[in-house]
Order: sequence, then structure tokens, then C-alpha cells
Amino acid sequence: MNRQLATTNTKVIVGLVIAVAIIVGIFAVVRLDVTGKTGSGLGSEFVYDIEGVGQIDPNLILYEQALLPIETGFSNAYAVAVDSEGSIYVAGDSSIRVFTENGDSFGEIELAGTPRCLALAADGSIYVGMRSRVEHYNAQSERLASWPDLGGKAVLASIAVSKKGEVFVADAGNRIVLRYDTEGRLLGAIGAKDTDRNIPGFVIPSPYFDLAMAEDGLLRVVNPGMHRIEAYTPNGDLEFSWGRFGMAVDGFCGCCNPVNFAILEDGSFVTCEKGLKRVKIYDPEGSFVGVVAGPEQLGHTGPLKICMLPTDCQAGGFDVAVDPSGRILVLDTVRNVVRVFTRIKKEL
Amino acid sequence: MIRLIHIIIAVVALTILSGVVSASESDSERFPPPEFETDYQRPSPTTPEPRQDLWEYVDVAVLVAALGLSSYLVLRKRNRRMIFLLTVCSLIYFGFWRKGCVCPIGAIQNMVLSVFDANYAVPMAVAAFFLLPLVFTLFFGRTFCAAVCPLGAMQDLVLFKPVSVPSWLESALRLLAYVYLGLAVLFAATGSAFFICRYDPFVAFFRVSGNFNILVLGACFLLIGMFVGRPYCRYVCPYGVILRQLSRLSKWRVTITPDDCIRCRLCEDSCPFGAIRQPTADWPARSYSRDKRRLVLLMLLLPVLMLAGGWITSALSPVTSRMHATVRLAERIYQEESGEVVDTTDASSAFRATGKKISDLYGEAGDIRGKFRLGGWFLGAFVGLMAGLKLISHSLRRNREDYEADRASCVACGRCFQYCPREHVRLKQNKTDRE
Repeated sequence: MNRQLATTNTKVIVGLVIAVAIIVGIFAVVRLDVTGKTGSGLGSEFVYDIEGVGQIDPNLILYEQALLPIETGFSNAYAVAVDSEGSIYVAGDSSIRVFTENGDSFGEIELAGTPRCLALAADGSIYVGMRSRVEHYNAQSERLASWPDLGGKAVLASIAVSKKGEVFVADAGNRIVLRYDTEGRLLGAIGAKDTDRNIPGFVIPSPYFDLAMAEDGLLRVVNPGMHRIEAYTPNGDLEFSWGRFGMAVDGFCGCCNPVNFAILEDGSFVTCEKGLKRVKIYDPEGSFVGVVAGPEQLGHTGPLKICMLPTDCQAGGFDVAVDPSGRILVLDTVRNVVRVFTRIKKEL
Repeated sequence: MIRLIHIIIAVVALTILSGVVSASESDSERFPPPEFETDYQRPSPTTPEPRQDLWEYVDVAVLVAALGLSSYLVLRKRNRRMIFLLTVCSLIYFGFWRKGCVCPIGAIQNMVLSVFDANYAVPMAVAAFFLLPLVFTLFFGRTFCAAVCPLGAMQDLVLFKPVSVPSWLESALRLLAYVYLGLAVLFAATGSAFFICRYDPFVAFFRVSGNFNILVLGACFLLIGMFVGRPYCRYVCPYGVILRQLSRLSKWRVTITPDDCIRCRLCEDSCPFGAIRQPTADWPARSYSRDKRRLVLLMLLLPVLMLAGGWITSALSPVTSRMHATVRLAERIYQEESGEVVDTTDASSAFRATGKKISDLYGEAGDIRGKFRLGGWFLGAFVGLMAGLKLISHSLRRNREDYEADRASCVACGRCFQYCPREHVRLKQNKTDRE
């Protein structure tokens, strides 16, 4: 009798275990998120929150905004440059607009297409980078030449003119810097990956690829994916580089920063970052000096974020220029205004 | 026998050695990882070397060896202990060492996808893993299930106190495997998902990592498997469905007794998988007419079941098609466009960033849904057919004089051998011969 009871009890227990296992198994399958719609399930400690690093210590800020922002009137402004007289040239939509140093508009050069970048030579001539070709204008705004088209893959992002009159064109699409004479004859290419010459090549995830000729005769080129600025001789030899990745204020973060830079009279660098928008000063050796403006000073509203989607990463980079009096001009490509910053502290 | 063990150990050792060699790492300059302000020391970035092609051939060679050995042990040696040893080795190699991939069960999907997608080529190893067990089954029965399949091995090892499942329930539950196979084929054919791999309950154990829900599912299978022999193999495994049918045609097969059945009934309850069939009694004359009418009725019901199954499954295409990412995305975009939802998802934002036309996406999703409608007819008809055939098979009388292992259900584990007194006589005779 007892054995029969024990057998019955065992059967009941086994049946219950099986029933529970079936119910739990079905529940596990039904609750399985195969499409990822419930997210990663990770806690808040894993959220990529950069609000903290977006707050700039006021003690680090060396500049303040001098004027009301200069309204460019463009729907899409792309580049800013300053001539030796302090006149401000802004390229956008399908023209270049010229402003006095106080922000008064006094001229416009109509273009055949959308300008992406521009450079002003010492003789007053203007080099305008369209998407895949360079156009050359004289000081009287007359077009002198349109250089050969570089093909569908080309995305011209920056132009610089050396004291010798050589023109350097940064092609983000082909990840290379092209060296021309003033007539548009190609003299060479700089920065193509070459392990024999110890040249790593440019990493350019978004169409930002700035360059400038420094007083020391070396061409400074941003390698945005590597978060650094590299120095090349006009012949294309890589001399040195500076810059490092970092969320902290002295580093460059995101997929590709800095997006643009300018060189101050003393050889220091003004860098512009997108995503976590920051304009900062580095000395000629690349050591962090201070901040011109953080997200707050650049008019950022809403939550800060590092670009996550292609649309975010491909746009929103500000341009920067320096005028003869040392003011820093930041072209806000979101609001299409130029913000002018003047120095308020000599050093930190 | 000792030589055999040496061979197995050598294969395992060589495999382990290969893994150590292939785990060499190489550094390269890449985008810097995000910097978090913690004390954590980031390991340097490494890129594992791809697995050498050679090892695909080694896997196939091991599979052939295991299948051959399993067939030999089951049909010639009739040695349960050696079958068990091979089961453990297979579990270690195909399960824990090869992480349960590639496996013949999942290979069904690769084969199906290669038929429906001209751009998809099946790797040699995958094709071999799919075909070799089928070929062996055609000749030797389900010797793959016996001691080669790591999923079966896993369940075999936990079988603790087997209980018998009523035949009506056994038969009904087996339909699940047909539904599972049909769904897996449908999802693979439409390029939606590799359903079998996604819901593989044991792969998480093999990899010591995986989705928590799948781990729970695997644990549930193992818990049930302690009392119900090989529940996944019997009621879920889609590859088992194919093996069952091929096993019916096998040239050689497992027999409980090595020679003549003496109907001692000792083996009657020895199979934990309910695969032993008893001798049948004569057909009672009084039920003959009734059974014949029922058979005719069921045969008439067969097309009805197929049509009903096809119609229901086809009508479910709006639901089943959501397994395809494009359909899900189109539905999400529609919700956003119609204002049903206000936020966006990563997928919808990414789609909008591509600049593609929404109408094109809707068109693409509509085409996919159309494939699911059509596929639903085939799937439903297939399940209806199988359900109908099962009902018909229960209405057929089979003449069986001895205790036999069911050709389709027997997984050739060899447990029944030791219950047969004739087997003991054979073993004693063998021993005497050797002496």
C-alpha cells in the first residue's frame, strides 16, 4: 500500500515538474525579444551620457562673444575666411557674401553652384571649392578660371594657399590632399597611405577634412578619424602630428574631430569639434591651452550627443577663422551666423 | 577498442591544439574606442584570425568517422557502453568544442536558403553536415541521433527517471516538429531568419553564453528530459522529422534481439523513447467494417485538413511576415507616418537617414508579405497533410509478430540490447569463442 502511494506521489511530482518546466519554457520563448524592440536591457550606467563632459569649466574659457552674431542670410552656410583687411567672407547656398569686421554686408559674389570651402590668397584672389572642382576669382570678384573637375568621388572640404602661391586642396572623398600651382596645374598629392614613408593615410568618416599652411612652412592637415592634426612638408613627407582621442576637454571625441581649425598669429591652433561642439585653443606644439566656447556658448540647446546616425555625423560641423586682430570667428552652420569671440584672459 | 579510444583522444587533442594556434592575435591601428573616465585598464584591440578552411574538412572528417563508428557500434558491436562513450565524445567535440555550430539541424535552413536565394552559396562543410547523416540514415538507421548529435547527447546524459508518454500524446506532440520544420523552411526561404538557430535551446550551454530566455528554455528541456527521454529530439527537432522518414527506408536497422525474438517481454518497457512496438493481435472481425469506414472518412478528411491548414496559415501571413526585418521596419515607418507613434526607433531613424523612398519600402514589404501568403499555403497544407497521415496511420492495422524497434522512432541508443536474453547468449558465445 505504502509502495503504491509512494509511486503515485512520485508520478505526481514528476508530472508537476514537467508541467512547470513546460510553462516556464513557453513563457521564455514568448518573452524572447527577437527583434530587439525592448532595447539592450542594460542599466543607466551603460547609457552613453555626455552631459557631464559637455559642461565646460568657466575657468577654462579664455574668450567671450564680442558682437551679436553676424547673420549671413544663407540657408546653408559652409565656410568662413578672413582677408588681411579683416573683411569676412562667408560661402553658402550659391554665393560668397562679404562682411566688414563689424558685420555689415558690403558685397556678394554669385557662383554657379554650391561652395563647400574657400581660401583667400595674399594677392586678394579667392579660391572656391565646389563639390569636385576649384574656381578661381580675382579680387574684383571676376572668375579667372575653373579648374578641371576631379570626378564624382571627390568632395572638396578645404583649401589653403601658401606664401609661395601654391594651392592645397583637401579632397575628403578621395582622402587625399592635392597640391596645385596658381594656374591649376597639379604638382603632387599628399597623404596617401604609404607604409614605406610612414604615412598612415587619412581616416575621414564624414566630409570634414581641413588644412592650413602654418608659418613654419609645413602644411597642417586634420586626420579626423585619428583625432589628430598632422604636419606635412609641401613634398608630402609626414613630419609629426599631435592630438589624441578623449572625452575630456583636452581631447577630441566622436567619430571624427576636429572638423576644422585655424592658426593664430602666434602659431597656436583654434580647433572646432562637431557632435560635442567645442572650440578650443592648442599651442603650436599641440598642448591644450584653453577654451574659446563650449556647447552653451555656441548656442546649443537640447541634450548633448555624440553623432550616432549618418545624418548626424555628416553635418553640423562649424568652421572657424582668425582675423588680423586675433578675433576668432566661428561659423555656426546650424543657425547660419558668424559668432565673433575676443580674448578676455591671457592664460589660465 | 583501446586503439579506438586512442584515436578519439588524438582527434580531440589535435583539435584543441589547432584552437590554440588559431587564437593568435594581431594588432592594427583602428578608430580609438570611447574613453570613459574610470580606472579600468582597456585591453589592447585585437582581431582574431579567421578560422582556417582546413578545419572545415577536419569537422567533416570527424563527422564521417563518428557516423561510421556509431553505425558500427550500433549494428555490429551492439555495445551500449561504447555508444555512450561515443555520445560523450560527440558532445564534447560538436557541442562544447565546436560550440554547436555547424550542425545538421541548422543546416536545413542553409540548404533551403540556397534554393530560394541565387546569391547564397552553401559552404561545403554545411552541405556535408546536412547530407552525411541523411545518407547514413538511409543505410543504417538513425545512428546520427544515437551517438553523434550533440543535442541528443545532451538530453541522453540527463535522462534520470524515464516515464512513458501515452501513445496519443506522443503522436500529437510529434506534430510540433512538423510545424517547426515548416516554419523554419518558410522563414529561411523568405530570407527572414534562421529560426532553428535562434531558438536552439542548447547552444547557449555549449557556448556558456547566450540569451537568458534561451538558457531558461534549454534548462526546461533538460529538466523535462530527466523524465521524458529526449523531448527536443522527439517533439521538436526538425531534422529528426527528415531522419524519421528516411529511417523507414534504411537498408539495415537496429533490432532488439540479435537473432530470434522469444517474446519474453523483458524489453517491453526498456525504451525510454517509446520506440518498441509490441506484437499485434489478430484484427477483431467485429471492428473490421467500422475501422474501414473510419479509414475512408479520414482519407476524405485529408484534403480538407490540407486546405484548412493552408488557408489558416496563409491568413496569418501579416503575423508571420513580421519575422522579416523589412516588414517590421515598414510597419514601424507606417506607424510613425500615420501618427500612431511619436518617437522613432534606431531602425526607422537609420532608414530615414538613407534617403530611400518610403513607398519603395512599403512595396518591398508588400512583396515579402506576398511570399508569406503563398508560403503559408504550403506550410499549412504540409502540416495538414502530416496531421491527416498520422490519423490515417493510426487506423491502419500492422501485422507484427515480434517485439520490434520502430524504424522511425528508434534513435538507436542501444539501451534495449541488454534486456534481451538472446543478447546475453550472444555475448557469452562471443566470449567463449575468444577464449
